[in-house]
Amino acid sequence: MTVRDTIIETQDLTKYFGAMVAVDGVSIKIQAGTLHAIIGPNGAGKTTFFNLLSGNLKPTSGKVFYKGVDLTGKPIHRMIHLGMGRSFQITNIFPNLTVHENIRLASQAMENMNFRLLLDTAKMDRCEQRTAEVIERVGLKNQSYLPARVLSHGDQRKLELGMILAPDPELLLLDEPTAGMATDQVPELITLIQDVQKSGTKTVILVEHNMNVVMSVSDRITVMHQGKVIAEGTPAEIAANHEVQTAYLGGLYDLNL
Amino acid sequence: MKNNTNVFIKNRGILIFFAVMLLAPFLIGLLEGSSPAVILNNRGSMSKFLEGLGIEIFILAMFALSYDLLFGITGLLSFGHSMFFAVAAYLTGIALKTMHLPFWQVVLLVLLVAVIQALLFSLVLPRVKGVTFTLVSLGLASVFHIIVMSSDMINLTGADVGLQGVPVPAFISPVSERLRFYVIALSLLVATFLFYRRFVASPTGRVCVAIRENEGRAKMLGYNTTLFKIVVMVISSLTASIAGLLHALYQPIISPGVADLGYTVMGLLIVLVGGVGTLSGAIVGAFALRLLDFTLRRYIGESAAIITGAIYVIFVLFVPYGIIGTMNLRQFKTKQGWQRLLGLLKPKE
Repeated sequence: MTVRDTIIETQDLTKYFGAMVAVDGVSIKIQAGTLHAIIGPNGAGKTTFFNLLSGNLKPTSGKVFYKGVDLTGKPIHRMIHLGMGRSFQITNIFPNLTVHENIRLASQAMENMNFRLLLDTAKMDRCEQRTAEVIERVGLKNQSYLPARVLSHGDQRKLELGMILAPDPELLLLDEPTAGMATDQVPELITLIQDVQKSGTKTVILVEHNMNVVMSVSDRITVMHQGKVIAEGTPAEIAANHEVQTAYLGGLYDLNL
Repeated sequence: MKNNTNVFIKNRGILIFFAVMLLAPFLIGLLEGSSPAVILNNRGSMSKFLEGLGIEIFILAMFALSYDLLFGITGLLSFGHSMFFAVAAYLTGIALKTMHLPFWQVVLLVLLVAVIQALLFSLVLPRVKGVTFTLVSLGLASVFHIIVMSSDMINLTGADVGLQGVPVPAFISPVSERLRFYVIALSLLVATFLFYRRFVASPTGRVCVAIRENEGRAKMLGYNTTLFKIVVMVISSLTASIAGLLHALYQPIISPGVADLGYTVMGLLIVLVGGVGTLSGAIVGAFALRLLDFTLRRYIGESAAIITGAIYVIFVLFVPYGIIGTMNLRQFKTKQGWQRLLGLLKPKE
């Protein structure tokens, strides 16, 4: 493996909720072009850490650097323009708008036409083209003009992935993309994520509970426990790590390796 | 999804409305036996009276349209919307009566103040959300209502009596040039509607709908939602202010009632009756409400309010999506309405 640039880096990132520390002094570096998984028992602080990376939460102390630029204090709506996209653990879409409109809004954000009050959106060709591409890619072509709320849960997860892909970000933060999906739909989505990452040389950071998925797709894994990073390495290293096993077995989590 | 690109076909509803409303005074004139020439000279009594009712409805419809943009399209529930309307109305009155400004300067002043008011709201927009925004907007409007009503201002605003004796420029006098006033009000309403339709289909308008549906997600998609809300606020304020200006020119008295919560609620009711977020619902709703109110008052008198209230309740229970909303959905379910009604009457365990 060649040495690659660091795309995102945290320095001593800490977040307190009242007296409780959710993320405790996390310093990690993630290389560009890799698929990096973050695992850990429930309550380990994975989602909070994600929220700090994406700017949804402000850290109590510490800093986040994206390509060497300090992100701390930047508004959320700037993140996508820097090349960052994130999905949520709980599906976060526009339920009453059509699939097409959901994706179209996501690609429109990258056009500098947001304040053309009299322009017909149907005439924004580049945006329409991009929308059609993304819908095709996530396999929702036949549901294009259905309201997003009527889609199955699995299809809504795909739609959400599509909304992240539409602006073509360099870094994708995926918070449990397979959460609540039917088991037979999981491989399809994972293949899609892998395809996206490989074909576009993108970086994917993934929070995931499904160990089979994590072990098979990740380049590197970071293990969090009680707000701290307790191990980092390749899937093989993590599987053999004694401390990781203790953390999982000590917690109420079944590590089905 | 069909995409009709022809502008005339796409807007046929409003264009037919425009044509019918333009012809209406002459048709009514023919019914009462006056020739079109008589109507053009503003001498047909029945048609003149109905033109007046039409003007009131057009003004109401414009006010309701601006409310639908804010509430129905962008999802901002403001209880201070009447402020835009009332400030414009009082400003027009004072500028003409006390300051003796020429008419074009009055119009410019009203539009300028409309933008300033919208920007005043935009100070609070990024800070408060949901119900808090509703209450803050109510607070802002109440301040204006109190100022208008205060006896210290009696020389300017007429306090609780209202502002009377505004010298209206002769060329749009609602008495001697009523047909012209009618056509101007109608044209402004149709123009506003066409602009709003385009706006909602524009990239800006689509983001506003996204803000209504899920503001947090819109932010995550990379939109600075506050900026969009300010744009909508400015457009809405400008529209409501034009309606307020027409109101001040048309009505012999500008009553402080236009500044209070009741007037905002009327805009809200019109939008609810017509169909939230449909735009055309604002026009349909204004007709329905004003004509209902007019008919009931004429035959029953002041106690009509209780019947109006009952009709609203029945409406909300049986036609919850409003007239246009229900037409678009093509479903009218009486059974569900009865269930909602029984649900109201049944005591909670």
